[in-house]
Parts: sequence; C-alpha cells; structure tokens
Amino acid sequence: MMSVMQASWVIARRDFMATVYSRSFIFFMLTPLLVVGFSILTAFVGSRAASDQGPVVAMTVDTQTGAALMKARDHLASRTNQRAFPRLTLVPPAEDLPAQARALIAEDEPGYSAVFSGTLDQPVLHGPQRIDESVGGRMTLIIEQAQRERALSGTGGAPFRAAAVQRDITTEAAGNLRDVRLGVARFGQFIVFFFTLLLATMLLSNLIEEKSNKVIEVLAASVPLDSVFFGKLLAMLGVSLIGIALWGGMFALATLFSIQLLPEGYELPPISPAIGWPIYSLLLPIYYTMNYMLMGALFMGIGGQANSVREMQSLNMPVTFLQMGVLVLAMTVIGSSMSGLMPMIAYIFPFSSPLAMIAEAGQSAELWPHLLAIAWQAFWVFLTIRISAALFRKTVLKSGGSSPLIPRFKLGRSKTA
Amino acid sequence: MDAALAIEASGLFKSFDGKEAVRGIDIAVPTGSIYGILGPNGAGKTTTLRMLLGIIEPDRGRRTLLGRERPLEAATQVGYLPEERGLYPAMKCREAVAFMGALRGLPIDVGRKRAEILLRDNGLGDYVDKPIKSLSKGMAQTIQLFGTIVHQPKLIVLDEPFSGLDAINQGRLEQMIREEAAAGTTVIFSTHVIHHAERLCERIAIIAGGRVRFEGEVSEARDRLPPQVRLRTRAADGRWRTALPHDAAMTDGIWHFQLPTGGIEPLLKALIDGGAGIEELSIERRGLHDAFVQIAGEAAAQQMAEPELEAAE
Repeated sequence: MMSVMQASWVIARRDFMATVYSRSFIFFMLTPLLVVGFSILTAFVGSRAASDQGPVVAMTVDTQTGAALMKARDHLASRTNQRAFPRLTLVPPAEDLPAQARALIAEDEPGYSAVFSGTLDQPVLHGPQRIDESVGGRMTLIIEQAQRERALSGTGGAPFRAAAVQRDITTEAAGNLRDVRLGVARFGQFIVFFFTLLLATMLLSNLIEEKSNKVIEVLAASVPLDSVFFGKLLAMLGVSLIGIALWGGMFALATLFSIQLLPEGYELPPISPAIGWPIYSLLLPIYYTMNYMLMGALFMGIGGQANSVREMQSLNMPVTFLQMGVLVLAMTVIGSSMSGLMPMIAYIFPFSSPLAMIAEAGQSAELWPHLLAIAWQAFWVFLTIRISAALFRKTVLKSGGSSPLIPRFKLGRSKTA
Repeated sequence: MDAALAIEASGLFKSFDGKEAVRGIDIAVPTGSIYGILGPNGAGKTTTLRMLLGIIEPDRGRRTLLGRERPLEAATQVGYLPEERGLYPAMKCREAVAFMGALRGLPIDVGRKRAEILLRDNGLGDYVDKPIKSLSKGMAQTIQLFGTIVHQPKLIVLDEPFSGLDAINQGRLEQMIREEAAAGTTVIFSTHVIHHAERLCERIAIIAGGRVRFEGEVSEARDRLPPQVRLRTRAADGRWRTALPHDAAMTDGIWHFQLPTGGIEPLLKALIDGGAGIEELSIERRGLHDAFVQIAGEAAAQQMAEPELEAAE
C-alpha cells in the first residue's frame, strides 16, 4: 500500500500537470500583464480625474483684489491640499454685478459653483444657499486670509478686522449641478459594473454542467447553439434581475427610512442625472442588461472552451481583471463630454460602451447618443453570441469548416466521436 | 429529394485534427424502415449519425434529413438518443421527458402528460416526481429514451441504444422499436452488437474504417457468404474423403465446410459412392454475425494495407 505522501505525490503530480498543460494556464500566466496594464490605466485615469475635479469660483473684481485672493487661496492650499479650496478664475466685472453673477452661475462651461464680487472690505458671494457649508465656507476662509495678509503687509493702512461676507442667494449653480451629475455618473457606472462583476462571472462556468452531463449533445441536435447560448444568458439575466430587484428594494427602503431620520427642515442636495430621473431610470436597467449580455456572452464563450472546473478556475482571475480594465476605460468618460481619444474609445468599444453610456446619462442631457449606443450594443450582443456559439461548435463539438470569423483556437482537448 | 427516403447521404467526409474519421459515407434510409448502422468500435458510426443530425458539419458531402438539407430544420420531427446519455441529474423524471419534448417543439404541458403516461405504462409510475439522480443507470437511460419519443417524431435516431441495458430492458427496447416502426416511424440505430440488428433491421449499413463496406438488406449481407455444410459419417476414413473440399474441418466428429460451387448433388453422390455412410448432412445459411465479421475483417485488412500502398506511391 502506498504511503500518504506517495499517494499525495501522485495526486499532486497529476493535478499540477493537468493545470500547467491546460491552455487556459496561458491566460493565468498573462494575469500579471493585465495587472500592470490595469495599474497604468488606473493611474492615468486617476490623474486625469484629479485635474478635472474641484469647484471653480469666478471673481468679478479688479485685478489687484483678484491677485490677493489667488495668493491667499494658494497659501491655504499649500498648507492643506490643492483640492481643499475652490479654484479661482478672474472675470472682468460688468456694470450690473448681480446680473453678471447670475449669468455666470447659469453657464454650463466652465461651470462655476459661486461668484465673488465686491472688494476685500465689502465682499459679496453670489450662489445658492446650500454652498454655505462647502464652497461658501472655503471662500470665507480665503477672503479672511487675503484680508489678514493685507493687514500684515500694511498696504491697507488699517488693522486687521475680518469683514463679513455678504451673501447673494441665487438659484442652483451649473458648476454644483455638474459635480452632482459627475457623482451620479460615477454611481451609475459603479452599480452597473458591480452587479455585472457579481453575476456575469457565473456565466463562465454555465456550460460546464451541460458538457459534463452530456446534455449538450441533446441540445445541439435539437436547437441551434445560438439559442442555447442566448437562452442561458436570458435565464441568468432573469436571475440577476430578481437579485437586483430584491437588493434594490431593500436599499430603497433603507434610504426612505434614513430620510425619515433627517432633522426637520434639512434640505437634501438636488441629486439628479443630467438626462433626468425618468429617462435615467429607464436607461439604468437597459445598460445593465446590455453590459450583462455582452460580458455574459463573452464569458460563456470563453468558459465554453474550458473542459474542466480546473480550467475554469484558471480563467477566473484574468476574467475579473478584464472586467476591471473595462471599468477603468469607461471611467475616462466622466467629465469628458464626448471628447478625447480614450473616452471615445470607451463609448465605442462594445464591452465598455454600456458603462460609458450610463455615465454619460448622468452628466449629459442628450438622448440620441443613447439610442445609437443601445442599437450598437445590441448588435454586439448578437455578434458575440454568434461568435461564441460558432467557436463552441467548432472547437468543442468539432464541427464546421474554417471560417474567417472564427479563429483556430481552443483551450483544451475535447472528445471526438 | 426522394420522399421514400427518410435519410439520404452521399460522400460524407469528416476529419478530426487531420485524421479522417469518415471517408465517403453513402446511406439511404427508406421511410418507415428500421435501419441499422453496424460497425466495430471506432468505425465512424457516431460521427456519421452526428453529421446526419447536424450536430457536426461534414467537411464534404451532402445529406438530407426528412427532405431537409439543414437537419435542424427537421428537428421537431426527429428524436435522438446519443451514445453518451445526458440528463440533468436534479430534474424530475416527468420534467426531464417533457423538457426533451419541449426542445423538439412539444408544448410543455402536453409533454408532462405524455411523460406521465409513458412512465406509468412502463412500470416507472413511482418515479414520476423523483429526480434523475435517484434512478439506476438503466432507468435513467429509459427516461432519456422516453424523451426521445415523447414528441412522436417521424424519425428516431438511436446511437448504441442497447449498451448499458440489461437483457430484459434490451428486449423492451427492441419491442418499442418494432412498435414505433409499425406506427410508420423510421428508426435508425447504430450498434456493434449484431444480434439486435439481425432481429430488428430490414436494411443495414456496415461501416468500418470510416467507409460503408456493405449497404443493403440483412439477407443480402448473409448471402455474401456461401452456405455451410455440416456432415457426420459412420466411416472415419475412406475414398469419400477425397470428395471433401480443402477447407473442410472437423469439430466434435462433425465436418464443416462451405457448400461447393457445384452444389450439393455431386458431393452427395461422391460421398455415397465413396462409402462415407452419411449419418447427418445439413446445409446452413450463415448468420449476419459471420457476414459482419468477414466484411469488417476484410475492411481491417484493407485499411492496414492502405498506409503501405500510400507509402509505396
């Protein structure tokens, strides 16, 4: 009788050889490359996002006051960090300052959060009520710092005394709305990504059951393989939607309960996607469905090539990184407004398109790109299913001649008749 | 397309990884017949059936299934039992049968009702709501067979249907095949066990080395071999021995040899004249098994010679 160690060695050797000699192991070995690529992309997107973000305040003041405020702002920012204080832009003052302030606040570009006018002795801050605790508070600090610096340098002639900032309450500023919308864009993108990551990976091993219990032979003789793939995708989509409905319902209840706990008179920020809640509520499940179907069809196609659970396990990590790579690509659209190479790639590349477009719905009110994108994504769902099914037929069922669409590629050895 | 043919195939070729598994198969299965595809292991039977059903595409050649060049177009009228049986283990028996019917276009409710009837009529009434995993292998195979016929197909394709069944269930399956054929259904099955084909089939194809070596009626296959003579004599030796053919061999006191081409009369006269003292003489028609062994054996010899010929060329 073999000793435990001998027997263990026999098992270990077989398992090791089976894993290393499977073709999926190549993908496993390539994972570090994906990690490196992912890191580079994250850094790129992160730096880009950092440069884009932060509120901007327009200063309709003379150049001397503007310079003093900018100096004060830089001084404070150097002691904390650049994003802690709003960026300041000097705008030549018009005759009717309140009217100019309202016009600037309403402009989408560059999207001011507030407007400063007056002088250091009589500062006026134009903007909506709710900025008092954010941009407004920070602007007060900057103004006080400028007043303090002027007093210390003696150019003002008077001892330092903080002048109260006068408030001119306006409607919501475009810049604040943009921040909210960018937040909605990020949130929508994350929700779609998170649920897809959670649920679509299950599709990787979906065909293993049919392959292992040989039902696939009966299915292939009865219905087109495309139907098998599409049917499985639909079934799993249904399962995922049930899960999302349950979790979403619980989240909604928790949110409603939390709102009840807010102090009376507390005003919630105007959280709203640029395209409006009704259309956004429609687009969110559509883009989730598209993302799920696209990723699901791809994963099912990849998973269908694997012959064993072992090969499936080897595929799990690269596939997860693939999804994260797609997310990082889609993140480049936030704040881009349909411009730039990477964002355009993200909108067009079918596997990042749903994530990019749900972000777009958060930050832009245009409807037509969504109609175009949904048609484009649906086409790719169809194409991915066709390719996955054809690849399965060719490499697993060992059928069909050579096709320019289907590369000569397989993961493992499959049994022939 | 000939309406009298349920399946028609010509020049089917299929290679796997550069190795030819099927090398020019021609088959014509008459509508309403029981047709057997016979061949040793690895002859190409399963590959042929899979090509006929459209599970795999041939590299070359053409086939029609119930008149359709695309077999899936006829899928609702076809039942298929694959060699490697496949059922979802957690599915209940009734659901499994109904599901297979639904795959072939049968409404699921109708499938459930028919499944229950099939199960009860065949002594499996207690298993209607039991999962497949609770069944024995033979029972599970029976369930899959019910799934193959539940939608009342015009054509039933069975790949090695008798393997894995005990003698009683093999008998039941033979009976079921006869009943389906009597109802006008065409049945085609593959086997390497010749007795089933001999009992059931009207026509057969013997496949070996990826080629059809014989195609025709069972009696024609048998007739390819000359009848065998059995002879028992009182005299152990004598002049009569010169009348026996060279291939005559004695087993347990009985001579066996092929019937001479000149017929039995000249031999009989020579035996009587030579003083054999005939105790027993009979002429036996050869069975399909013998014909199969000879045909498959010739094919094997030919196949072995082929690489040498190719190398010589």
